[in-house]
Amino acid sequence: MNKKPLASLGLALTAILAMSGCGSAASSNVSSTEKVTIKYSNFISNGGNEKNLDTIVQAFEKANPNITVQVTTLPYKDYTTALQTDLAAGTQADTFDIEYANLRSYVANGAVAPLEGVDGSKYKQSLLQSYQSDGKQYALPSSFSDVILYYNKALFDAAKVAYPTASWTWADETAAAKKITDSAAGVYGDFQNVSFYEFYKALAQTGGKFLNDDGKSVAFNSPQGIKAAEWLAGKSGTTMPTPAQGAGTPDFDTKLFKDGKLGMLHSGIWVASSFADSPKSWDIAVEPGDTQKASAEFSNAIGVSANSKNKAAAQKWAEYMTSSDVMAQTRISAGWELPATSDDSVLKPYLAKDKPANRKAIFDALDNVALPPVIGDNQQKMVDIINNALGEVEAKRSSAADALKGAADQINALLK
Amino acid sequence: MRKQRPSITLNILVLVGALMMVFPFLWAFVTSISPGAGLSATPQLIPENPSLSAYAELLQRLPFAQIVLNSLILAILTTVFQLITSSLAAYVFSRMPFKGRNAVFAVYLATMMIPMQVLVVPLFVEMKSLGLIDTYLGVLLPGIASAFGVFLLRQAMNSVPQDLDQAATLDGAGHFRIFGLIVLPLVRPALATLTVFAFLNSWNSFLWPLIILRTPAMKTLPVALAGLQGQYTTQWDIVMAGSVVSVLPMLALYIFTQKYIIQGVAGTGLK
Amino acid sequence: MTALQDSRSGSPGPTATTKRHRGPEVRRKTTGTRLKYGLTVAVFLIPSALPLLFFTIIPMFSAFWISLNQWNLVGPMKWVGLGNYGKLIGDPGTQGAFLHTIYYIVGYLPLVYIGGLAIALALNSRIRGRSMMRGLYFLPVVTSWIVVALVWRWLLNPSTGIVNWLLGLIGVTGPGWWTDPAWSMPSIIVASAWKDLGFVMVILLAGLQAIPEDLYEAATVDGAGRWRRLFSITLPMLSPSTFFVIVLSLINGFQVFDQVYAMTGGGPNNSSQVVVQQIYDLTFRYGRAGEASALSWLLFLFILVITLIQVRGQKKWVHYA
Repeated sequence: MNKKPLASLGLALTAILAMSGCGSAASSNVSSTEKVTIKYSNFISNGGNEKNLDTIVQAFEKANPNITVQVTTLPYKDYTTALQTDLAAGTQADTFDIEYANLRSYVANGAVAPLEGVDGSKYKQSLLQSYQSDGKQYALPSSFSDVILYYNKALFDAAKVAYPTASWTWADETAAAKKITDSAAGVYGDFQNVSFYEFYKALAQTGGKFLNDDGKSVAFNSPQGIKAAEWLAGKSGTTMPTPAQGAGTPDFDTKLFKDGKLGMLHSGIWVASSFADSPKSWDIAVEPGDTQKASAEFSNAIGVSANSKNKAAAQKWAEYMTSSDVMAQTRISAGWELPATSDDSVLKPYLAKDKPANRKAIFDALDNVALPPVIGDNQQKMVDIINNALGEVEAKRSSAADALKGAADQINALLK
Repeated sequence: MRKQRPSITLNILVLVGALMMVFPFLWAFVTSISPGAGLSATPQLIPENPSLSAYAELLQRLPFAQIVLNSLILAILTTVFQLITSSLAAYVFSRMPFKGRNAVFAVYLATMMIPMQVLVVPLFVEMKSLGLIDTYLGVLLPGIASAFGVFLLRQAMNSVPQDLDQAATLDGAGHFRIFGLIVLPLVRPALATLTVFAFLNSWNSFLWPLIILRTPAMKTLPVALAGLQGQYTTQWDIVMAGSVVSVLPMLALYIFTQKYIIQGVAGTGLK
Repeated sequence: MTALQDSRSGSPGPTATTKRHRGPEVRRKTTGTRLKYGLTVAVFLIPSALPLLFFTIIPMFSAFWISLNQWNLVGPMKWVGLGNYGKLIGDPGTQGAFLHTIYYIVGYLPLVYIGGLAIALALNSRIRGRSMMRGLYFLPVVTSWIVVALVWRWLLNPSTGIVNWLLGLIGVTGPGWWTDPAWSMPSIIVASAWKDLGFVMVILLAGLQAIPEDLYEAATVDGAGRWRRLFSITLPMLSPSTFFVIVLSLINGFQVFDQVYAMTGGGPNNSSQVVVQQIYDLTFRYGRAGEASALSWLLFLFILVITLIQVRGQKKWVHYA
C-alpha cells in the first residue's frame, strides 16, 4: 500500500508498452509424454451447440490423452470484443475462432501462427484457400454455410406462379414477388436485407466489382453498383416490408416466413432447421442472378495463436476440430453448420434428409461464389458505410447514384 | 396537510402511469410463456398457448442455480463494500474539512466521467499483471468503491443538521462515534437508495464480467443470458424468460428497501 | 475550487474546544492533534481512494498514453503524439456525435427531472397502494434495454404505433420517429426519460423523507397554499437531491450508449450516433484504439468542465441544512 501513485502509473504504462511490443512468442514442441492443456475460445457452439462441441472435445481427448482442451464459449456479438481485449493483453487462447473477414488483419499483425504440415486434402479446397496468405495456411475452416432462396409453395400456388428454378433471374423474382404480394392480407412477396452482405453479392450477380483489381480503390460506384443498390432498395415498400413495418427487427423475416406470409426469403441455410413444418410446404433454390449467378458463402475457421506455448498440440486440436470424422458426423447429425470437408460421402446423410427437398441447391450455389471484399483493419468501417448508404436509398432520402458516390469517397479515403 | 388523502384524479393518473411502466415487463413475461414466439413488430398481450417450457429449458440449458448464486454473491459483496467505502468517504467530504478537500472531491467525481468502454483494455492489462484474470476478485475489485455512492451520501449528510453532531462533539465524541451513531442513522434513506443502485449495477453489469471471466461455471447471469442468443437465430421465449427472472430479485430488493426507508425516517425523530 | 466548499461552516473540528472558534484558531493546533486529524481523514478516505486510484485513475492515464499512439489492439503501437486529437477535432463524424449527445441531454434532462419530481411528490402523498406504485414505477429501471427498446420501437412506429395513432386522433400527422434522421434523437430521448423516471423518483423520494413535517405545518398555519408550499419549502429543501440528480444525469447523459445501441444502432445514417458509441466502434470494431482513447479524453474534459461549472453555480441555489 505504500506504492507511490506515480510509480504504479509507470507500472501500468510499462505493462502497456510491453504488450504493444507483442514480442514474447516462445513456443516449444511438446514431447509426446508431457501433459498439456490448451485453450479454445469459440462462438460457433454458442446458442445451442455447446454439448455437440463437448462431444468432439471428449473424442479428441480420448484420442490424445496428453492433451486437455479448455473451452470458453462466447456469444457471437461479444466474441470479437473479448478477443480483441485478449489480443491486446496477450492473453488469447491457444486456438480461437476466426471469421474470414478478420483474418487479413490478424495475419498482418502477426497474431496467428502459420500452420505447417496440414493435410489439405481433407478440406474443401476453395475454403482452405481462403485462409491462406503468401502461400501459408493461417487458419483451418471449421464449417461453411451459404445463402439460398427459400420459397413458400402455397403462396406460389395461390398466385399461380411457377416455383423458382436454378435458371431464374432478377426479373423472374420481381414478377413473382409482385403477384404474391397482397398488402391487405399482410402477405409479402420477397425479403432480402438491404445491407452490405447482400449488396456485394448482388453487385457480382449483375457483373460489377466491389474493389478494383489492385485493391487500392473501390469500383462499386458504377452502373452495375447503382443497379444492385436499386434492386435491393427497390423491394422495400413494394414487395417487401419496410423498416417501419418491422424489417430489421430481430428474426422478423424468419417469423414472417414461418407464419406463411412471405413468398420468398433470401437467407442462410442456418435458418432451415427452424422452419420444419411451418410453413406447411416450402423448398429452396439457388438465388436468382442478373447477368450471372453469384452466391454468398460464409465460413468460420480456427487459428492458432502466435504466442501459444503449445503450438503443436494447439494445431492438433485445430485440425481435429476442422477435419476429423467425429466432428463431421457430430455436425451432420446435430444439424449444426456443415463441415468444410472434401469427403462428399460424409454429407450424404445430410442430403438424404427430407426437408427441404432440394438440398442439392445448397451445394450447387457453391459453384458460383462471391466472396466479400476484404480490406483489413477498416473492414467494419467499410461495412457500416455501405449499410448507411443503402439505408438512405431504401428510405428514398437519396438516389442510389448519390449514396454510392458518397460511400465510394469515404471508402477510398480509408484505402489510402 | 400531507395527512389529507389525495384526490381521485391524482389516484387515477398515478394508476394510468403505473400501467405504462409495467407494460414492457408484462410483454416480456407474456412472450416468455408463449413457446416458439417470435418478436413480432406488434407485441401480443394474450399468449397463444401459454406454457412454462421456456423456464424449464432455461433451467436445463444453464447451470441456473450456480449462475444466480454467482451473480448474487458478487452483487451482495459489491453492495456491502460500496456502502462501507462510500459512507466513510462521504463523511469526510461532509464533516471533516482539510486543505485541498475540494480538489480531492473533484477527482472522485472525475472517476465517473470516463466511459467504461475505454477503460476495459487498460484495466484488463492491469488485471493480467495482478494475476486476477478469471477470478471473482478481478470482477469484484473495480466495483468496491463508487464515486456515485460517495456523492449520493455526501449530499444526504450535508442535508443533516449539524447541531446534532456538534452536541455530540461537546460530549467528547470522536469522529468515529459521530459517524456511526449520529450521521449514519440519519442518512438511512440514502443508504437504502445506494443499496438498490449498487446492487443493480453489479447485478446487471455485462461488459467487464464477460471479458474477465472465462470458466463457464463462474459466469454471471447477464453474461449467461446473452449466451442464449445465437449467431443467426434466437429463441425469444427463452431470452424473455431470462429477462423476467433477472428482474424479479431486483424488484424484490427495491420493495424491501422502500419499506426500510419509511421505517428509518420514523425512527429518527426527525418527522 | 473554493466554490466546492459547503456553504455552511460549522463543521466540527477535531476537538471540542476548537469548535466555536474556527479560522486562526485552527492553525494554532498542536502538531499532534493535526496528525491525529490527518490520520482520521486518511482512515476514512483510503478504503474508497485506493480502489478508485488503481481501478479507474490508473487505467484512465493508461488510456491517455494509448491516445498518443496509433493502435489496433492486435499489432504494435505507433507513436503519433497529439495526432489523434487533431484528427478527431477536424472530423465531422466526431462533431456530429458530440452534437447528438448534447441534443440528447438538452431534451432528456428536463423531461426526466420534472417527470421524476411529479411522480416522487405523488408517491410521497398518502396515495392508495403507495408501496406497490413505487415498485411499479421502478420496474423500467430494472428492465433491460433490449426489452424496453423493442417496446418503444413499437410504440413509436410511424405507421402502426400507438403514439402516432393518438396524434392522429387530435389531427396531427405523427413523424417518422426512429426511421427518420430528424426524429431518431427525440425517439431515444423519450424512451430514455421514461425508463429513468424511476431512478429520479427514488433519489427525490429519499430527499423528501428528510424534510421535517413541522415546516409544512407552520407554513399551513401561515396560510400558504399547495403551490406556495412546493416552491418555498419542498423545492429548496430538496435542492441537494436535485443538485445530485442534475450533476449525475449530465455525467451519465454524456455517456449515453445502451439505449442508442438497442434502439437505433446510431442510425438512420448516423443521425443518432453518440460519443460513446463512437468510442466503442473505434476500439472494438474499427481497430483504432488510439483514436478511441483520445475521444474519451476529449469527452472526459468536456464533462469535467461542465460539472465544475455546476459545482461553482450550486452556491446560488443549493441549500444545505
